Amino acid sequence: MSTNTMIQIENLYRTFHHGGNEVPVLKDINLNIAQGECVVLKGVSGSGKTTLLSLIAGLDKPSAGKVLIEGEPISKLPDLFASELRAKKIGMIFQHFNLFEHLSVSENVTVPLIPSGLKMKEIHEKVDEALKVANIIHKQEVLASRLSGGEKQRTAIARALVADPNIILCDEPTANLDRDNSLLFIDILGELHHMGKTIVIATHDPLFDNLSFESTVVPMVDGKIV
Amino acid sequence: MNTNAFWHFLTLQLFKERSKHLSVIVISILILFLLSSVLFISSSIRYSLEETLKVQPDFVVSRVQGGIAVPTPMVWGDELLDIYGVSKVNPRVYGRYFFEAKERSFLVVGVDFLEEQSHKTLQKLIDQTDIKSFFNNNQMLVGEGVKRYLAERFYKDAYNFLTPNGTFEKVNIFKTLPSQSNLIGNDMMVMPIDLARKIIGYSEDEVTDITFNVPNPDEWNMMTDKVSALHYDLHVVNKNDVQKSYENLYNYKGGLFLILFLVLLGTFTLILYQRYSMVYSSEQRHIGLLRALGWSINDVLKFKFTETVVIVFVSYILGIFIAYVYVFALGAPLLREVFLGAQNLQNNLNFVPVLDFSVLTSIFLIYALPFMAAVLIPVWRVSVTDPKESML
Repeated sequence: MSTNTMIQIENLYRTFHHGGNEVPVLKDINLNIAQGECVVLKGVSGSGKTTLLSLIAGLDKPSAGKVLIEGEPISKLPDLFASELRAKKIGMIFQHFNLFEHLSVSENVTVPLIPSGLKMKEIHEKVDEALKVANIIHKQEVLASRLSGGEKQRTAIARALVADPNIILCDEPTANLDRDNSLLFIDILGELHHMGKTIVIATHDPLFDNLSFESTVVPMVDGKIV
Repeated sequence: MNTNAFWHFLTLQLFKERSKHLSVIVISILILFLLSSVLFISSSIRYSLEETLKVQPDFVVSRVQGGIAVPTPMVWGDELLDIYGVSKVNPRVYGRYFFEAKERSFLVVGVDFLEEQSHKTLQKLIDQTDIKSFFNNNQMLVGEGVKRYLAERFYKDAYNFLTPNGTFEKVNIFKTLPSQSNLIGNDMMVMPIDLARKIIGYSEDEVTDITFNVPNPDEWNMMTDKVSALHYDLHVVNKNDVQKSYENLYNYKGGLFLILFLVLLGTFTLILYQRYSMVYSSEQRHIGLLRALGWSINDVLKFKFTETVVIVFVSYILGIFIAYVYVFALGAPLLREVFLGAQNLQNNLNFVPVLDFSVLTSIFLIYALPFMAAVLIPVWRVSVTDPKESML
């Protein structure tokens, strides 16, 4: 592993068991992602890109192989350490935003920091900062259920950024957005890239084919990197 | 986890999801209210009974022939006095007097007012009574239920008893018995013993039963044998037997309610369990999301545990408080009828406030443990699965 490797994936397999059958979703994935790099996992629906993203985030366990985050094997760590790693180093942006609909924008962004041990004053400062970066601070008191798709996505970005993680993982981030909001989202990603964040995007949206900032497209077909 | 941040988020969640929690809290309060009311009533009745029985004579002797109570010869009292260890022998005359028009009955109790009474409340009342004026006319002391019942039928100051020989005996109402004695005194008419004999139809050498005390409790078992040996048709009962039969009666009623409560709690627990363990519930998605955002299993469990404890405590305190007001301030309308039975006369018995720590603890445990298990077991099961699976 080189000194600036942020994410290292070695011989990764993921197989699901469905009705007595084995369904291989990921097959022998090997990938190194350097610090500050932006990687676009490109592929059609069912190619395994979301599963790969979940394994990188430690939300799922591989059938074989391993994922290392800054040298730490996230899939093999006990829950307490894996959660801590996820809280400090990884920010997730989901396709369906996954916000707590009954909470306001700022309250949603607060959630990842609750177990952090920070005082409420510090938490509020970090939340305000993340809301500014995601350009959603003007809606901070609005309930998530009353936001538009674009606003929900920006709230999700603020939530992913609030703990100042090194890695941002985005799962089909523009699938539920119109073109204008998708472009706005890509602009924010560009800012995050300039901030030195390592970004991994799983998408089939052609807008990510030629990004205005440096990025690597990794095509995936039938659970393999091609 | 910083305590302030934790409590901040907990109160936020409880407030924002209040409609979800409110239904659980309302049902919990209802269940706790029912359980607490039943246990408060039975504790209070048990306390009143114990207090009442404390001042009752230790033994009661009567004559039973062929399984039927017949008048007891007064001379048996002298025979009892001859037994070593027996004190305060009191003959009693009492019997049911039926008010035919409404098929109700009063308990006519004849008392020798010149003798010391074994019943302290009665003794206190007699001490406060002007005996001279009491004896000058036919007079009686009546329970609250009797007083109210007669007043409603225009017998405000006196009542005309129809004696067994067909004559009328007018007896004036002198005073009402204190309400504290309503558990046993509600339908009583206390009058001089000779007057009671006339109304019930006893001759001068007959009484209903004879009471006596045995100060040494170690002699009680032996005393029963000694007294029973006096006459073949002598029936003896001690205070403990009376207490047991009363307790059995009220425990039986309380037990029925407890079974109903357990069925109710079981159903509620099942509903809760199902609600929290439903495969696609929003609760599961929330837990999965918290885990995806960096919360550990411990963080999630601590949060859900505290949230449940808050709900349990709020329900518990409110349920107990409402039950306390319902039983001890309002007199438990509806439930009192069940516990006091189909009363001969309406009884305005006031339940004595008794807060037994063991009862409160039992209520908490009976309610809180199944509730917490029903919530926390599914939460734990969801927490330990991979977040991706929970979020599906």
